[in-house]
Amino acid sequence: MIASKTQAAKPKVGFYGFTGCAGDLLAILHCEDELLDIFNAVDVRSFLMASSEVHDDEELDVAFVEGSITTDHQLESLADIRKRSKVLVALGSCACFGGPQTARLGYGDWKERFKKVYGNTKHTVAKPFESRPLDEHVKVDYYIPGCPIDRYQFFFALTRLAQGMSVELTTFPVCAECKWNENECLLLKAQLCLGPVTAGGCDSRCPSHNLPCIGCWGPAAEANVASEIDLLKERNFSAEEIVSKLRLFGGAAMVRRFADLLGIKAEVPARRPRPKKVREPVVAGKAKKKSPSKRPAAKSRAKKR
Amino acid sequence: MKALKLKKEDLYTYLESLKSYGELWGPVSRGEHYSYAKLANVRDVALQALRTIIPPKKFFVPPRFNMFRYSEDQYTETFEDVKPRVLFGIHPCDIHGLMILDELFLDRFPDPYYKKRREATAILGLSCIPDDKCMARSTNTHAVEGGFDLAFNELGEEYLVWVGSSLGDDLVRLNIDLFSEEIETSDVQKYLEWRRKRDSRYKLNFDLTGMPDIMELSWDSPLWDELADRCLSCGSCSMVCPTCNCYNIRDISDLSLESGVRQRRWDSCMNKEYALVAGVHNFREARAERLKLYYTHKLKAFITEYGRPSCVGCGRCIDTCPVSINVAEVIRGLKGQEVKL
Repeated sequence: MIASKTQAAKPKVGFYGFTGCAGDLLAILHCEDELLDIFNAVDVRSFLMASSEVHDDEELDVAFVEGSITTDHQLESLADIRKRSKVLVALGSCACFGGPQTARLGYGDWKERFKKVYGNTKHTVAKPFESRPLDEHVKVDYYIPGCPIDRYQFFFALTRLAQGMSVELTTFPVCAECKWNENECLLLKAQLCLGPVTAGGCDSRCPSHNLPCIGCWGPAAEANVASEIDLLKERNFSAEEIVSKLRLFGGAAMVRRFADLLGIKAEVPARRPRPKKVREPVVAGKAKKKSPSKRPAAKSRAKKR
Repeated sequence: MKALKLKKEDLYTYLESLKSYGELWGPVSRGEHYSYAKLANVRDVALQALRTIIPPKKFFVPPRFNMFRYSEDQYTETFEDVKPRVLFGIHPCDIHGLMILDELFLDRFPDPYYKKRREATAILGLSCIPDDKCMARSTNTHAVEGGFDLAFNELGEEYLVWVGSSLGDDLVRLNIDLFSEEIETSDVQKYLEWRRKRDSRYKLNFDLTGMPDIMELSWDSPLWDELADRCLSCGSCSMVCPTCNCYNIRDISDLSLESGVRQRRWDSCMNKEYALVAGVHNFREARAERLKLYYTHKLKAFITEYGRPSCVGCGRCIDTCPVSINVAEVIRGLKGQEVKL
């Protein structure tokens, strides 16, 4: 077992954050009761929010990366982290799917949108581009979704990785856990709930507080978005409202998988080219197909029911 | 089995006296629905409740529970919530559901987690008048002849109370003064009349004879694809079904990496992962295949093996599925009638 007493034998782990609210890293730091155990289980080499002492020139066993990628500088850092890490884990919805900042992916030209908000700004620090999740740039081995992540799912992933095992997180929809918690179905009460198309593992937190699911854990493994849209339309929600909700947290995953259903097929931009600085680049998105435990990129509904 | 009478006005007093045996649980309101909850106040019990959101299987196979704690050299079974309990207000269909689970979990390969919880629990049945989602008459699970410790049948100002086990007899003796043994001819007449009234209220009536044959013939029916287009694969139907009993197991390590728990949680054959095996092979990858499996199990395979469907007609799938896929619609579809999705 890796949990040996010597520091040297512990897996080396780094925590990183890009564009996002840092809520996932904060969620980990908020685990006051478990924090010592976390730092005891693994050798944390980099966690800027926790300690200014970082070792960012070392090889890592596992890198946990929060946030989406929005500038060339971030892309270089991500490529560097990828190169140094045996396993790269996307932490939180922004890293997994792009987050709300990716909600408009494929909605017209990004440059025009940028200009509309910022005017003719000169980029002095870093060159920005349209926000994308990590796997549009580098290979991602595991996805821990959530806005923010659930601490128990994080512990589960951390302990599995620390013991050299694969990580299988919940892929079935929120509805199952919602039933376990014996909530009244909000869809049946004609609310715009995304539970059936959203990955579970959150313990149906929002519906348990009588709030409809907003899809912050991203699309479930086999989300039947077409049926969900029909169902919501039957409950008199407008197509615009439904698509907007689906895209808010669905990000790139929602756009890539269900563009035709969202009515944006013609406008979806191609994946970004790989960063030039990666010496041995990995084709973006390929990781998804290897194992079902890694949040599989389901093919379009038409092919597979 | 003997029959007794209890005055309606004495019910709460009797329920209160049951607490000396163990925790008292019964249906309580949950919004517009019902859920089994611990009855701190016996007057909270919702006597009008028909179906709870999830069935009483939750008492014997909780949605999530820890089987045992493990460390590097040993394991300890926890049995966290095993304690004497009285479940009051279980309707006949749900009692049949428990009898089906008993066959699966107690007969050939007893499941210790189920067994311990089952043995610690008294089942107190309660009669009901069906609504438009009940179809227990079609599945012949609308009445009980066993599977309970006590069964209460509402009859005007009284309950007829059947004693179904020696534990039931003990429970009556907790407050025996409340019960009367004097059954009169008029009571028999009233009871038969009540049964006729109950039977006449079923709006969903299906002839399920020969269902395995029909299912076999329908193997390639386009019905499955039509349902699959609509199905959300959310698994809610399995969660609310009194006889669905599949589960998944996972080990959750403590952060010390030296100990942890083995957790069991409900699973559903509607989940894509369900039939996933090594090498990323999935022998029921298509949603239509999974729907077919679910209903084949309810209406064909179980009948072939156990002589009765594994649907007890409780109506929970009718009440739950957001896209109206349920056992009644599937039976209609299989019998060549129009399906309303």
